[in-house]
Formats: sequence, structure tokens, C-alpha cells
Amino acid sequence: MINSKQIQRPKLVLVVDDQEINRDALGVILEDDYEIICASDGSEALKEIQAHVDNLSIVLLDLMMPVMNGFEVLERMAGDDRMKHIPVIVLTADKSAELRALQMGAADFITKPFDVPEVIIARVARIIELSEGRQLISAAEHDPVTLLYSRNFFFEYANRLHHYSPELHLDAVVLDIEQFHTINAVNGRDFGDDVLRVVGAEIRDFLSETEGIACRFEADRFEIYCVPQPDYQALLERFQRRVGRISPNVSIHLRMGVNPWQEGVEPVLMFDRARAASTMVRGNYQSPLMIYDEDMRMRELRDRRFLNELRSAIQTRQLRVFYQPKYDIQCDPPRLSSAEALIRWQHPELGMISPGDFLPLFEGNGLIGVVDNYVWQVAAAQIAEWRKKYGVKLPVSVNLSRNDVFDPTLIDRLVRIIEDNGLDYSDMKMEVTESAYTEKANDLLQVVNRLRQLGFEIEMDDFGSGYSSLNMLSYMPIDVLKMDMKFVRNIESSETDLRLVKLILDIAKYLKLRVVAEGVETEGQLALLKDSGCDLVQGFYFSRPLPPESFEKLIERELEIERG
Amino acid sequence: MTLRELYQNIGADYDQALRVLRVEKLVDKHIRKFVNNGVVSQLLEAGAQMESARMFEAAHAAKGVCGNLGLTALSDMASQLAEEYRPGNARHMSDEDVKAVLQRIETVHDAMAEGIRQYIEG
Repeated sequence: MINSKQIQRPKLVLVVDDQEINRDALGVILEDDYEIICASDGSEALKEIQAHVDNLSIVLLDLMMPVMNGFEVLERMAGDDRMKHIPVIVLTADKSAELRALQMGAADFITKPFDVPEVIIARVARIIELSEGRQLISAAEHDPVTLLYSRNFFFEYANRLHHYSPELHLDAVVLDIEQFHTINAVNGRDFGDDVLRVVGAEIRDFLSETEGIACRFEADRFEIYCVPQPDYQALLERFQRRVGRISPNVSIHLRMGVNPWQEGVEPVLMFDRARAASTMVRGNYQSPLMIYDEDMRMRELRDRRFLNELRSAIQTRQLRVFYQPKYDIQCDPPRLSSAEALIRWQHPELGMISPGDFLPLFEGNGLIGVVDNYVWQVAAAQIAEWRKKYGVKLPVSVNLSRNDVFDPTLIDRLVRIIEDNGLDYSDMKMEVTESAYTEKANDLLQVVNRLRQLGFEIEMDDFGSGYSSLNMLSYMPIDVLKMDMKFVRNIESSETDLRLVKLILDIAKYLKLRVVAEGVETEGQLALLKDSGCDLVQGFYFSRPLPPESFEKLIERELEIERG
Repeated sequence: MTLRELYQNIGADYDQALRVLRVEKLVDKHIRKFVNNGVVSQLLEAGAQMESARMFEAAHAAKGVCGNLGLTALSDMASQLAEEYRPGNARHMSDEDVKAVLQRIETVHDAMAEGIRQYIEG
């Protein structure tokens, strides 16, 4: 086992005394524990100190010596940045010199003659220990790259300012470098460190002109606790100008979040909010400053409430699954073909909450898997119930989030849901959003292929809403394209949009993919889509998403048509 | 003659020397060197000139060296002179008294040096 002595560096002691007997006397006392070097006067001592400045643990310094006395050595050491951290114990038989030496920076004194060696050993050890401790603290106090405070010290000092100088009314400012990992990856770590150094230097310059402290919170995130600034936009621009000069070949963008001082709010919370503000403008190069305000605070509170209440909302069935029908429009009249399951939150206090308010939140923190699983179970039970009640096969599409793909139990869970409800795999279709295909596509492809092998149909949701390339369609394992509603919206008025829709339909046909047009609201849109060869349509023209009991009316109407 | 016998002969404190220098070998080394160590003669020279600053420095140095070697009689007298000439201290002794102390120092030193020489010659 490694013991604490092994991680200590060897300790080097410089003994400075013009009398050899004194040097020997100290040497023999200390030689068991330290490596000893000697000097016989002040100027020799300074040479030795300079030569061993990085590994000298302590100097034992006689005060009265020819050539250069100890006081002068103390003075020279105090005036030298590299030497001033080395502790000095003065050797003296002279009481009056002790005070002066201590005032000049000596850490302690040993009186001559040296008659109690244990006292000398203990004093030397204690002063070295104190000094090393101070150096460790000093090293931990600052981030070596930017020379700003390190995170823990920063928050300790911020808390002290908050408690002991409340009249300062300090603001929390967070500064982030956009895409820093990419800058590092493309230009190398040294370049990345240069960027950090420049930002650190500019922050230090800024702080020299105002009141405040700053740290590098983590990789590329800086936090500043400072007196309120008149214009944060100007401050951000100042930092941006500075990083803009680093390299003509690399564009570096900063963003800033600010939480202005509020009575009684602790620094930790203020910086949480400033960070949240900065995160809100991530990637927004046009408007990279966000001041945390009451709206954000309300949104945050609401988000936290949603996160806390999700599980109980599922248990108490506040979360409900609605169904929006899809119609096959190539028949006359159009026939109910399938449905999409959509989540709704009927909150006892907040009323009906739009999925747009909570789904992105759950997607962001992984809880979306809980929601998805719930929808799968409810939808599967519903499919089974309708089959039993009406004798119809009515497939329902459910959402498969990116998060689900990385859950190793996914396939087992889906298989169990299908089997427990006595369904076929073709009864439930999995919708994957187009954007999910663009990142880490390989993992997704594997899972989707496995699902298809089992017999699930895969639908690509929101096709055309993001960064889809037509090329992607040729290798993506999908069965159905769901054309984003923005394509359909203007086909009655815009020839271009109509042509685009026709083009997508042609390509889909060529690739043997069925197409669902989303967001169909008018008869005119329906007619155009039908003429263009679109198979399936979903939208308010036929029906908004309905609770199951209302959806059953659609099934019953369908059955009546069938019976003629 | 053993080292301890030498110390007895010259009226010095062997145990004190051993406390400071820890090993007999070092006591032996420095007692031999003491014969040629200039601290006492420098003090006597300074005394001849009666220069206060030099008197203090020399007395201070002699006090340290003699104290470490257990030459207590010498270090006590050197200490007395160091205090007499310490910058800022008021003088208590007349020049005659100082000269008398210096004289005693010389006498004690010479006797000790003679004893040490005999020890060296074995």
C-alpha cells in the first residue's frame, strides 16, 4: 500500500550560518529527516535558494553574518515572487532581532545555542507542514489555466460576500463558450486552453475595474459574482470582441446568462438561475444574452412541479391517452384506418396542460421513457379492448423517443406489452421523430431494425421538419413517412408547396413507403392530397385527438358504413 | 586523554557540547577546530580597538560558537560583552571593566587552547 511518506517530495533544507559548528550542529539534528545543503553567508545563501527555488522546503537563516546578513536575505526573498513562498526560520541568540525578523517575513525562530534538538526538529517540521498546506490551499484556490478561483473556493467566497457584505447587491453572471468541445476537438487542446486563458484574462481585467470575484466553474463555463453592471449586452460584447481576436480562422462565440440580485437569494441558487438563463440561449448566435426574469422563474417552478408530479399523475390517471384517427383517403368515402396515441395531462389545478409544455421537459431529463412506457401500456390495452368490443383491427401509433432506444430493456418490455394484451406486432406502430435519426444514428438503426424484425411497423414522424436529407430515406429502416404539417398548410395557395408535396409522395412511392399527411384541416387540402396519391391523412378536418370514449363513436360510425 | 577528560581538564561542559552536536565525532571535530577558529581572537582584536559595533558582532559570534561547544566560561563572558555592546543598550561597564573581561577571556581561551593542543597531540 502506498503510504503518505511516499507521496511527499523529498524535503530539502538550507542551513545558512557563517559558523561551521552551527551548520554542523543543525545538520546533525536534521539529517535523519531532511536533505541538507549549507551556505556560510547571505549572498551564498541567495545563490543556493535560486538554484533550488522549486524544491527548497525551508531556510534556516543566521542573522549575523559577514558579507550579507540574514536581514538582507529576508528582504531579498520577500521581494522575489518565486522565493517569497519559501519559509524561513531565523537562528538567533538575540531576542531583539526576533521581532524584526518575524516582521520581515520569517516564519519562526530558533535560539542559539541549539540545546534542545527535539524543539528544533518539531519547529522545522511544523513550519514546513504549514507552508506546504498553504501552498496546497493556494494551488487549489485557483484554476491553473485561467488563474480565476476554482469552483469550491469561489462559492465559499461568494457566500461570505452574500452574508457579510449584503449591501453590495451582487449579480450572478454566467459566461459560456459555444461548442467548446468542438473547438478543442478541431483545433487541439492547447488552442482550447488558450481560449480559456484569454477569457480568464479578460474577466480579470473586467474585475480590476469593478467589484467582484470569478471562477471557472467547469470546462468552458465561467461564473462572475459582481456588482450590478449597467449594460450586460455591452459586457458580453466586450468579452466577445476579445475572443474574436484570438484567431482569424476559428470563430468563437460566447453566451451569457445573468441573474440580477434579489433580496435573500443565496449565490448557489442565483447561479443555478444564471446558468439556466445561459442554457436557454445556447446556440442562439443572434441573441446570446439572457437575463433571468420572473417568467423564467415561473417556468422553472412549473417545470419542477411537472417533474415532481409526473409519477403521481400517471398513477391517478391525470395523464390520459387520446387518439387521433388516420383516414385512408383513396377510398370513397375515406375509411378509418388507424390512430395515433397522444398524451394529455388533465391537471386537477392547472387544467389541461399542452404536451408542448411538458414533453420537451421530460425529453430533456430522461423521464420521457416513463411517459412513453405508460402510453404503450394504455394504448395496447385500448387496442385489445376495441378488438374485443368491436371485432376490429385498429392499429395505433405510439411514440418511441431517442431515450428509449438506449434502454437495454426496451425490446423485452415491448414484447411483454404485446403478448400480455394478446396483440400482434402489427397492431402497434412505432413513431420515431426524424431528428432522432440524425444523431448517433447507428444505435437507433440497430434497435429499429430489431423492432421491424419482430413485426413492428416504423413510422418516421415530422418528416421534413428538421435536417432530413432525401439520401437518409434510402437507408433508414422505415415503413411510413409522416409528412410534417408545414408542407400541407399552404398547398392550396402555394404551387411550390404543392409541388414539394407531390415530389415527396413520388419519392415515397418509389421507395415503397406509405405517406401520412399531417395537419389536414380543409376539404381543399384533402382533395389535393388525394389527387396527388397520398394514402393516409390525419388532422382536424377529420377529427382532433379524442378521448377513447369519443373515439369509439368514430369506430361505430365506421362499422355502420361497413354494414351499409 | 579522552574527549570527556579534555573537557574536565579545561573546565568545559562536555554534556552541553554533546547535546548540541549529538555525536562525539562532531564534538571532537569542532573542539579540534576551535584552536584555529577566529571568533575569540576577532573579539580580542575588536576589544583592542574598542569599536562598539565590531565588539557586539564578535562577542555575539563567540558566544554562539563557545556555547555550542560547551565552553561555558567563554560563552558567558562573550554574552556579557554582547549585551554590553548590543545596539540600543545602555552601557553598564566602564572601559576598564570591559578590558578586564577581555583579559579574562584571553586567559581562559589560551588555557583551553593549550589543553586542546595537548589533546590533539595525544
